[in-house]
Amino acid sequence: MADDFEITDEMKAQIGQETEPWTYEVTTTGVRMYARGIGSTDPVHYDVDFAKKQGFRSIVAPYGFLGTPVFHPDTNDGTFGFPRRAGGPRLNLPFKGLLDGGTETEYFDVICAGDVLEETSHLADIKARGNMVFLTNESVYKDKASGKVVAKQRLTSIHM
Amino acid sequence: MAEQTYFEDVSEGQELPEIKISPDKQQLVKFAAGSGDFNPLHFDENFPMLKPMGLTENIVHGRFKYAQVGRLVFGFAGYQGRVKKFGVQYRGMDKLNQPIIAKGIVTAKRQESGENLVDLDVWTENAEGKKNTPGTATVALPSRS
Repeated sequence: MADDFEITDEMKAQIGQETEPWTYEVTTTGVRMYARGIGSTDPVHYDVDFAKKQGFRSIVAPYGFLGTPVFHPDTNDGTFGFPRRAGGPRLNLPFKGLLDGGTETEYFDVICAGDVLEETSHLADIKARGNMVFLTNESVYKDKASGKVVAKQRLTSIHM
Repeated sequence: MAEQTYFEDVSEGQELPEIKISPDKQQLVKFAAGSGDFNPLHFDENFPMLKPMGLTENIVHGRFKYAQVGRLVFGFAGYQGRVKKFGVQYRGMDKLNQPIIAKGIVTAKRQESGENLVDLDVWTENAEGKKNTPGTATVALPSRS
């Protein structure tokens, strides 16, 4: 068994480094597209009048969907759409392989079409297991209009 | 959506109504469009990265499976309930056109800060019953009283 990959103090110092904020839009079309993408037939994701009758502000974002990052070809990744922005961790890990390790979302409100969210993220954890590194990034989503935190999402990526 | 579930009606060990889906390539292309994740790993059988990853065919997005667990917990919470949190780990890969079954079981009921909370074990499993996407969730349910 090889020794664990060494997590240096320099790497650990990146924990907590905040990115600049980015805008995520939750639109009616975006909600419907995501709902179609996951195979949902629940009218609460498609029919605005129906959703309002159930007490929601508009159609409900399916759980797992926190809107779409505003895209510009100069600033966003062409494959994944995520923003490349200032701030955040700089790790320079010597790995090419990347796997999605897990997703966890905490909700403080229901997210509906029409919401505009402001997201910032930071490195929450870094650890090694063998020659693999597990990074956990936490994103905080605030409702732009009220400033209230509506969701926190933790994403674990596995680098090897 | 099924009828609203109330806190009083839930008991430990109760199983949630499962959600089953066998995503074909078109479904995953729709998910790529909806999620913004256009990684060819999920829809291009000639994608050069498949081989180095030891794969001979496309695999389902982890986030697609997460979203199936999302459907499961939202279906259980109902329109009057609230999903407080849900998380999974991606432990195994799923191939296209194979069943992915989202399941859950009640592990605890508790009242906290005036909310009726239900803790769940949740996961997706494949046709062989292997839990490729295990996790936990907490929902708040309305009370009958």
